[in-house]
Amino acid sequence: MEYMALIYADEDRWDALSEEERADVYARYTAVAKEMQAAGVMVGGDELASTRDATTVRVRGDGTLVTDGPYADVKEALGGYFLLECDSLDDALEWAARIPGAEHGAVEVRPVYVDPEEAQL
Amino acid sequence: MKYALLIYDDDSAWVDLPDDDKATLRAEEMPRWVALFEELGKADPNVSGKELDGRHTAKIVRVRDGERIVTDGPFAETKEILGGVFLTDLPDLDEAIRLAALIPAAEETGAIEIRPVLQ
Repeated sequence: MEYMALIYADEDRWDALSEEERADVYARYTAVAKEMQAAGVMVGGDELASTRDATTVRVRGDGTLVTDGPYADVKEALGGYFLLECDSLDDALEWAARIPGAEHGAVEVRPVYVDPEEAQL
Repeated sequence: MKYALLIYDDDSAWVDLPDDDKATLRAEEMPRWVALFEELGKADPNVSGKELDGRHTAKIVRVRDGERIVTDGPFAETKEILGGVFLTDLPDLDEAIRLAALIPAAEETGAIEIRPVLQ
């Protein structure tokens, strides 16, 4: 079963880190990604650019509204994710707890939707 | 340039529907999604997408002072919730905006947030 581990964290905190501190954070992410790969659970993962670089698109009536910025102003924003293939939710939660962002932010774990008809195949 | 198209929508009307109604609505909307997949595939043959299961399935994991704390989610306190993601490699933001506007969930209460993916 696939699970998405969505990493939410305070962007101001990241902005305040020094180059060295950021290098340490990246090293920890690389380490956990390697462990996930070694365990055969890592399907993918990405780091997203800051919400400062976000563009939001809404279609209302016949018009397309394009605005700079995220869809909602939140203190802790989605900053990246891991896509995991795990046997159970408990396994996914264990991996999620090892993601560095869980220590100051939060990691939301959501199953990837499987169409009931596809699941029967 | 790699872009994540994050699909946010208010799912409050959706979550309480009986499964049969959900299946019917999905079937009705499917041709538009199939058309979207074709358009996305033309723009980026390696496009990938994931739909996330509903808000009642979300768990939040935090680690504080070495202790793991798991609570029910979702994390966002907004009515809109992240319902799915497309990952695309596109020439520029304009193309990302064009494709985002074709996503059926961009209509009504929904919004598509486009975020560059860091390499």
